[in-house]
Amino acid sequence: MADKQHVRYYKPKTDFGLDINDIQNFVYDMSRCIKCKGCTWVEHTYMPGSKFMTRCPSAEKFQFDAYGAYGKMRIGHAMAEGLLDWNAKALEVVYACTLCGACDVGCKRNLDLEIELSLESLRVKAVKDGVGPMPAHKKIADNIARTHNMYGSPKENRTAWITEGIKPAEQAEVLYFVGCTASYVNNEIAQSTAKILKAAGTDFMLMPEEWCCGNTLFSVGMIDEATALAQRNVDEVRKTGAKTLLTSCAEGYRMWKVDYPKLLNISTEALGFQVHHHVEYADEMIKNGALKMTRPFETRMTYHDSCSLSRLSEPWTPYEGKRGWMGCVEPRLKRRRGTNGIYSQPRDILKAIPGVQLVEMPRMRENAFCCGAGRGVKEAFPDFANWAARHRLEEVKEIGTETLVSACPWCKNNFTQAVKAGRDDMQVLDISEVICASIEG
Amino acid sequence: MAISKEIYKTLESVVGPEFISDDPVICEGYRSGPGGYENGLGYERVMTKIAGCVILPKTTEEVQRIVKICYRNDIPYVPYSTGFYGPRSHPHVEDALLIDLKRMNDFILDEKHFYVEVGPGMIYSPIQEECMKHGAYVVIGGGGAQASAIANLIGDGWSPLSHRIGLPHRRILGTEVVMPDGEILRMGSLAQGDDAFWGEGPGPDLRGLLRGYTGLRGCLGIVTRMAIKTLPFQPERLEPTGISPNTALLLPEKRIKWMNFTVPSKEAQVTAMKNIGHAEIAGAVTKVPLFWRAIAKAECKEDFWDIWSQENADTVANFFIVRVLLIGFTSEEQMEYDERVLMDIMTEVGGISRRTKPTDESWIKNADSAGMWLMCGGYVSVDYVIETMSQAPEHGPSYAELKKKYTPPLMPDYGDPGWFQSFELGHQGYSEFLVYWDQDDNTDPVDQFYLDTSKMNIKNRFYTSLLGPHQPLYLTGPKYGPNYHEFLLKVKNEFDPKWKSHPPVPLAHDVFVERAPWMHHMKDWESPADLDK
Repeated sequence: MADKQHVRYYKPKTDFGLDINDIQNFVYDMSRCIKCKGCTWVEHTYMPGSKFMTRCPSAEKFQFDAYGAYGKMRIGHAMAEGLLDWNAKALEVVYACTLCGACDVGCKRNLDLEIELSLESLRVKAVKDGVGPMPAHKKIADNIARTHNMYGSPKENRTAWITEGIKPAEQAEVLYFVGCTASYVNNEIAQSTAKILKAAGTDFMLMPEEWCCGNTLFSVGMIDEATALAQRNVDEVRKTGAKTLLTSCAEGYRMWKVDYPKLLNISTEALGFQVHHHVEYADEMIKNGALKMTRPFETRMTYHDSCSLSRLSEPWTPYEGKRGWMGCVEPRLKRRRGTNGIYSQPRDILKAIPGVQLVEMPRMRENAFCCGAGRGVKEAFPDFANWAARHRLEEVKEIGTETLVSACPWCKNNFTQAVKAGRDDMQVLDISEVICASIEG
Repeated sequence: MAISKEIYKTLESVVGPEFISDDPVICEGYRSGPGGYENGLGYERVMTKIAGCVILPKTTEEVQRIVKICYRNDIPYVPYSTGFYGPRSHPHVEDALLIDLKRMNDFILDEKHFYVEVGPGMIYSPIQEECMKHGAYVVIGGGGAQASAIANLIGDGWSPLSHRIGLPHRRILGTEVVMPDGEILRMGSLAQGDDAFWGEGPGPDLRGLLRGYTGLRGCLGIVTRMAIKTLPFQPERLEPTGISPNTALLLPEKRIKWMNFTVPSKEAQVTAMKNIGHAEIAGAVTKVPLFWRAIAKAECKEDFWDIWSQENADTVANFFIVRVLLIGFTSEEQMEYDERVLMDIMTEVGGISRRTKPTDESWIKNADSAGMWLMCGGYVSVDYVIETMSQAPEHGPSYAELKKKYTPPLMPDYGDPGWFQSFELGHQGYSEFLVYWDQDDNTDPVDQFYLDTSKMNIKNRFYTSLLGPHQPLYLTGPKYGPNYHEFLLKVKNEFDPKWKSHPPVPLAHDVFVERAPWMHHMKDWESPADLDK
């Protein structure tokens, strides 16, 4: 019988897409999890030893399988099949997760299952089913609706970070999207970014009226609100004629580069402008000689990969196709595996600064352990966010560095609070501050 | 019997409220399937149940207290380390307590005596990394870098590195077991404090009873600690390189390297392996299925099928590869000597050296078993055989022949005879046969194939590894014993008279056949009328 078989047996093909509005799109992925826990362990080639073995904050903190992607895939699958209902524990399992992407790249080391999208889709389902998001998220959503920033601060204060010597242009090719946190909380990041651009001789403009990027709305599953915000923001940037949108926030970077296209069902390319984090820009300016870092910064330093700048930052391409025998899809799907994240640029920058001794943590790049702040966790589960930061700081101490650098205000704030609470002898800086310190005479 | 509130509170007092839950969402997270090892098959659908409660102890003493509570209150329980081993490691009865051992991930490396001591939550890759930092190495079992070392060593525990490191049970220097009734038993080195250690304690080799041939899947208590022998390695660092998914260990080629050879025939393949063992060179000598090469080359699932579609029965039948891992354990000069010996052997058998990357993607630190699911979604290693080097290679072709009857739904592999290799420097040969399927197909024939392999092995007189826990005991026991089944059940009844440790193992596959209508026509053996149906 088998001798006469063609390789591919007949099997009806089923339509599917990567639209997170419909959890049914991810039933295949959720039903193929094999519990290898590649989502949770540090990739075995890079396994550093008997300490720092995992890269999933949620699984590490809560321990029950339900909190790892392997558990969430089973829970999500049961919910998609109508076999399990929401309860308080289900909401905790779904939302006490930083959506940091460690599970996604871990799974795609071997299996290519769409874990991150499944988790995002599960949150969309929670909202559509009327049980999500968490109360703390609703407060953020209310702030954004009222004031167009997540903190509920007065709109007119958004540009208060602009100090003397910083002069945004009326019109420029580069548009700096500052984001809520750098605008209202971490002014030093916005100011440093502006100074770096100035030092490189690059004019930049701001949005005529900058609104929140909607990261929290999208992350907690409020997809309708996030889509409306995405459409508004993309339209506004297109009106300015900017060729490049620059961010200093990793979460904002991911929103613009990946999630806006996802929400609007277009490719990243189709945005009509390029999206860069300032480390990409600074790295290029340093390498072409436009930006010179000459002032020594004497420190033993380590770099923390912000999830949204690293493993979650590959561009988006919409996909609709068919799945057939053995789960093969057509047309061919170019999977986002985190391979082409922004890993080398920040490291190249830091290594180029005189006096900096850059030391890697055991878990780095795609294996990095999330700071714990992102995707709605800091607001709804502050203790968990603090625990994750403390856990990461143990790694910093292990390698004996005195300075911790990241490229996102969310990371900086969460680490700073954890350092303060733990009374650790360590400074936490954003990479924009480090660059700025080296270029200022 | 469901776990009452009173019993729950008692259990909670052992671990604290943070580490016990009977919430249906938490328990759902421990569901066996539908994906995974052997999952999507009838056994998983018929035999596995969602746990009634989950508990996470941290210490042996906590495990002991939990087990005693269970035994006193007639609560069935299942030990669970990583959950990777599919339905066999998940509850088979309603309202069972799942004892998740992941928090018990202690690790001690004893440099002086050259062994490691681990808890059931400790997996292989960190053990290997720690060993290599200290000039030692262990096997990364075929179960994968992500497998619990304890679970794997009392189950399978072999890999290409077994060519030199040897069989799994010889590496177990000591075990600490919480017996089904809660008594703690320490065997081997763990029973002896600072004394010199040995594999067996006084009296019967209880370690062997515990392990059997490939383990009893937690039906004889819970291993909470194990001392594992390590072996001397070479001193150079194997540097991790690349970004996921394309990562590998860069090998210091003067001290360690893979070499691939094609040889003209199967006889030449076996002769080469025997002679390499006889010369006592190499760290691994193996022949892997041709489709594993396609997995290694493929960028994605669809790419695999494009590559694999280029093969046919002839190319598979004429694929004779010998993969050799050379290790300069003592010096570069020793490595050079080994390579010269290897090249002489290959010249004698007509081997041709093939291009080999200076890296290791699998086996030294990262046994990539998870990649087995890439192309189909469903996978199981249906059987393992340890025989002589002459007999082991006969095992695969007999499976390949039987497989034709069940293809589809099994993946078309054009008669690939599976994986075989040298164990213990060629004194033994190992054969493993793997099957793949799409779990969305009708998988009843896969269940039937599984059982048919047992009948085939009985007929061909192959002594196979899964005859105990993975086949009907009343089919295999009388044929291999003639009283193997009676012996095993006596052991079970002695240690676990109430059958609370992972029931109904070791009779689970017997029960499965009774419960699955599509298996009934295959039942041509006698079993007790009181079997739990």
